Amino acid sequence: MKIVVAIKQVPERDAQIRIAADGKWIDESDLSYTINEPDAYALEEALRLKEKNGAGEVIVVCAGPERVQSTLREALAKGADRAIHIEADDLAALDTLGVAQVLADAIRGESPDLILTGLQSDDLGLGQTGVVLAELLGIPHATIIMQVEVAGAGLKVKRELEDGWFQHVEMPLPALLTIQSGGNKLRYATLMGIKKAKTKELKTVPAAASSSTPTITLERVYLPEKQKKTEMLTGSPDEVAAKIVDKLKFEVRVI
Amino acid sequence: MSGVLVVMEQRGGAWNRMSFEAFEAGLALANKLGTDCIAAVVGESVQSMAWDSKSQPNAMYAVENGALKEYTSDAFVEALAQVIKKLQPAYVVFPHTYQVRDFAPALATRFKQVLISDVVAVHEGPVFVRQLLQGKLNADYKHSSQGPCFISVQAGSFRAEQAPASALTMEVFTPELDATKVRNRPGERFRESAQTVDLSSAPVIVSVGRGIGEQENIGVVEELATALGAEIAASRPICDNGWLPMERQVGSSGQTVSPKLYLAVGISGAIQHLVGMKGSKTVIAINKDENAPIFEVADYGVVGDLFEIVPALTKAIQNAKG
Amino acid sequence: MVAGVLRVAVEARQITGTSPSPDISAPGIPAILAEPAHFSRPESALLVLCVLLSAGLFFWRFGPILRRILRSKKDADFSLSPIGPRAWEFFWEVLCQAKVIRQRPLPGLAHAFVFWGFLAFALVSLNHMATGLGLGFLPPESLVGRFYFLFAAAWALLVAVSIAGLFFRRFFARPIWLGSKVSYESGFIAFLIFMLMVTYLGAFFVPGDSDAVKALWWMHTLALLVFLPLIPHTKHLHLVLSPVTVFLKRDGFSKIPPLAGDEDFGLVAGKDLTQLISLQAYSCVECGRCTEHCPAATTGKVLNPKEIALGVRSYLNEFGPTSDVALLTEARIPSPDNPPAKYLSMEAAFECTTCGSCEFQCPVGVQHVPLIVGLRRGATNTGAWEDSYGTKLFLALEKNGNALGLSAMERDKFIQKQQFPVFDGTQEYCLWLGCMGGYDPKGREIIADFARVMQYLGTTFGVLKKEKCTGDPARRLGNDLVFQTLAEHGLKAFETAKVQKIVAICPHCVRTIANDWREFGIAPEIEHHSEFMARHKDRLPKQSGESIVYHDPCYLGRYQDVYEEPRAVIAQAGTLVEAPRSHERSFCCGAGGGLTFLGEEKGDRVSYVRAKELVSTGAQVVGTACPFCNTMFRDALTAVSETPPQLLDIAQLTARAIPASQKEAAGGVE
Repeated sequence: MKIVVAIKQVPERDAQIRIAADGKWIDESDLSYTINEPDAYALEEALRLKEKNGAGEVIVVCAGPERVQSTLREALAKGADRAIHIEADDLAALDTLGVAQVLADAIRGESPDLILTGLQSDDLGLGQTGVVLAELLGIPHATIIMQVEVAGAGLKVKRELEDGWFQHVEMPLPALLTIQSGGNKLRYATLMGIKKAKTKELKTVPAAASSSTPTITLERVYLPEKQKKTEMLTGSPDEVAAKIVDKLKFEVRVI
Repeated sequence: MSGVLVVMEQRGGAWNRMSFEAFEAGLALANKLGTDCIAAVVGESVQSMAWDSKSQPNAMYAVENGALKEYTSDAFVEALAQVIKKLQPAYVVFPHTYQVRDFAPALATRFKQVLISDVVAVHEGPVFVRQLLQGKLNADYKHSSQGPCFISVQAGSFRAEQAPASALTMEVFTPELDATKVRNRPGERFRESAQTVDLSSAPVIVSVGRGIGEQENIGVVEELATALGAEIAASRPICDNGWLPMERQVGSSGQTVSPKLYLAVGISGAIQHLVGMKGSKTVIAINKDENAPIFEVADYGVVGDLFEIVPALTKAIQNAKG
Repeated sequence: MVAGVLRVAVEARQITGTSPSPDISAPGIPAILAEPAHFSRPESALLVLCVLLSAGLFFWRFGPILRRILRSKKDADFSLSPIGPRAWEFFWEVLCQAKVIRQRPLPGLAHAFVFWGFLAFALVSLNHMATGLGLGFLPPESLVGRFYFLFAAAWALLVAVSIAGLFFRRFFARPIWLGSKVSYESGFIAFLIFMLMVTYLGAFFVPGDSDAVKALWWMHTLALLVFLPLIPHTKHLHLVLSPVTVFLKRDGFSKIPPLAGDEDFGLVAGKDLTQLISLQAYSCVECGRCTEHCPAATTGKVLNPKEIALGVRSYLNEFGPTSDVALLTEARIPSPDNPPAKYLSMEAAFECTTCGSCEFQCPVGVQHVPLIVGLRRGATNTGAWEDSYGTKLFLALEKNGNALGLSAMERDKFIQKQQFPVFDGTQEYCLWLGCMGGYDPKGREIIADFARVMQYLGTTFGVLKKEKCTGDPARRLGNDLVFQTLAEHGLKAFETAKVQKIVAICPHCVRTIANDWREFGIAPEIEHHSEFMARHKDRLPKQSGESIVYHDPCYLGRYQDVYEEPRAVIAQAGTLVEAPRSHERSFCCGAGGGLTFLGEEKGDRVSYVRAKELVSTGAQVVGTACPFCNTMFRDALTAVSETPPQLLDIAQLTARAIPASQKEAAGGVE
């Protein structure tokens, strides 16, 4: 089975975020980048499927400037067979549709049986690129997937729903799945993996020129007014209890 | 193209209540624009569903078809695409549910649009506010093309007030659907069987630490957990003493949890415990020591005697749940 | 020509019936060793045949072992120089038997006597064989001869008594460290040694020309010649190998060698075993000193350091040094009925806290820690080790740069709250927080208190803006990828910030930065806060009254030989009490080797065992010098005692007596 994993390189979660001078994005100097966490789980799922079925190929694809090659190499070190770097220096100018089109153009030629990607990205978190990509390629999709099993000529996947519910879905191949974090245990990059990765293919292709203008634009970014601070609740036990219940009802929404 | 269309979600004749919050968002937007706010609900037979929120739509559509009985992306996208073509709204508003995340982007793509998802506020413009980088930044988005603007609304961003149920006249719209074109086959919904305690999937956890003092006192916290419908967990010393089974331990040598709510009772917040629960969405801590490290990761903190606060809280929760 | 002279002397004796020198022998007082007067040609020929047979058997058995050692991979980082320390080790440990005696006094002394006896006997044995060929060169009646043979006789007595004692110990007293299996060959060899001594001593009591002398002579010879070929296939191989092993030991304590080239991932299969490892595996004398002091072995874990060394030996015997067969096998369940499983297990390898007791105790030069870490490397670097906690740790180190998986911003918040100055090149010291000092509440208290001490002493310091873990847990667990990344990052951080001196509260950080980072570069000089404070001990506030029991951290004591400095600091803070096992015998707290980040232990908790020991001293306070020890004892002390002693780091012990006004000026801690 040929599996393509579409990954994104995002700023590290721990990174100190500073807003760029023009207020439209963050200051990218001094930032460290890493693989988007849900995409790491997607990669893990792809590797497991390949290991379980004994054969197949896992190809990682990432669009972005040259720095994304390090993330692609890490994916190769974890066990992917090939990598495709879609060279695009100005991805931020594209909207989700534009990005999905860039990916679709690069992936179409590979004719994969299965495409996996994380359910959303750690930076923008729109959570749509996978679904849009499936729509553009004309293949069925399912989202927020915890487990994947090959069932005959198709797949049986376990989809996560709200409140601890799950659902199995049967789908034909080829298909696209967006993978939820935590479905599998991630593997760590090993020395052996890194050494092997040096001999694996990393192909660079230019991003296909975009024909359309973005339909949504990010106008500006700013710090949210409310920073996370511990709100101390005071009063008599009954008063405090009432305050907590209020929070549970309206803020946390568990009642 | 004008007006705001809010797509409501239901299953088996019961509303997903987030839909009403999305409706509030849609209504606010419509009022800002001075246009109508219409609602639509998709299913097999939904026209007799009662509306039990205070704000009401200008018009309501029941989008009915046998192929819409169980949710599938293919059927819903096709059905709603037809609805949108018919009604020509300028804005289409969804609640940001798991289901919406599955099909709305595909629907938007049909119209060569991009969904502005997980919106937390709507400002003048209209400008749609989203969160970036796990809530570290806010971002203003604008819709910048022809065609309908699709948005989905984050849970808890808009408040809907419940009202006594009232019947709404719904116009029935039957989209043309070819069931053979539906590619996915969904199965029954299920919950994981609780063979062993799997705290990692519990949405609410009440956790007890050394502040509880004696084994006999654990009952106080267990009552709170029962009232909340929560799983009970503990820090390591409690499990070491055998007061609770080892599988309920949260921490570096126990389970790692990330529930919606983590209620830490009498837990100091040693690092070995913190690393097991730092992913919790909301943390409420009760401890008599104001310097306890747990307060550094708590959203809400109560400095006090847990033996007074917890029973009061249990009672208050029982009353609220009715 | 000498032989000719001697022959004449012997013949002269035969003719005259008396010895050429004054006969001071009186009945009952033996002074002259009786030697057989004459060996016929057939006898000499028989002797030669026996010697050839014995030597042949010896080499036939020893040859393959030697070949296995020599055919093992060369140690990439081995260097004979500096030869001075090696010569000293050889003199002190082998010739003086220092560790043998010091760490197990009575049996050690007995063994030392046997060893020295063997050395003393060297000429005796040589002369004995030469006599059989008519070439004896030490006439028993000559002054030299008489002195030497009496000297040797005294040793023979000592050896006989010692070997009898050791025999009794092994077969009747049965200390558990020697294993439960009765070793017949050990018994036989003890018997042979005893026979050698008895037949030698006996020669003082029999008349010079009786048949008994010849008989004794042949018994002695046979005992010797039977002993020789037994050496290679028993632990007595150490007779031949251990002096070499001690001399060729890897320099430094618990030194982890760098990986050699792109194909080296650690000890995966036989072909990865190096010459030093093979040599050490064959030198193991099975004394069990390593096991006796191992915190894992003594708390019911599968790990047994002796079995690791012997397991490598069995592996080499079965598969050889160029094999592709994996070294680690499935975990086995130890039971008195099953014979000990042949090889090594992943479970055992990952139960090691790297405390170093085994390596420290070993009298024949086996270096267990690099061996165990090597096995871990083979498992971790290839991804064969699939442990959820280990994976979590490595991912946390990769992503967050600290072992606890917390956001680096937590450390930033702490630094800001403490108002620590950032190191900018103008301060004397860079204060290294480490993962515990930066993120753990107790570690932070220790840092805050130490900062106060430094301010009190007027020492300027700054902290690095960003710190990543030194990589100690990754190194000990065998993840070279993560370790290299972190070490290179750290070296660059120090270089960029132009740091010259570092002080840290954590012995793991100090050791890793000072030693393990050398593989990738030289770090600025670093010392532990106990060394810093000890230098200024006269200026530290003097407190009295409280009894404080000091726990030597493994990574400060055995690893770095720092024993007295923390004690000097404690002596200023109260009355120092020693734990039953202290200094180089200190018993591990259980956190090392990355184990504090792995899951639940099997068997008894190492930390509880040590906590009980510390509590048993009755001291009011437990003084620690390592934040990991501190964290382990925090739970353990309350678990093992109703009224646990206070638990304080040496920095906290000192800071509590610093005048309050100074504390406020330093900036409060939460």
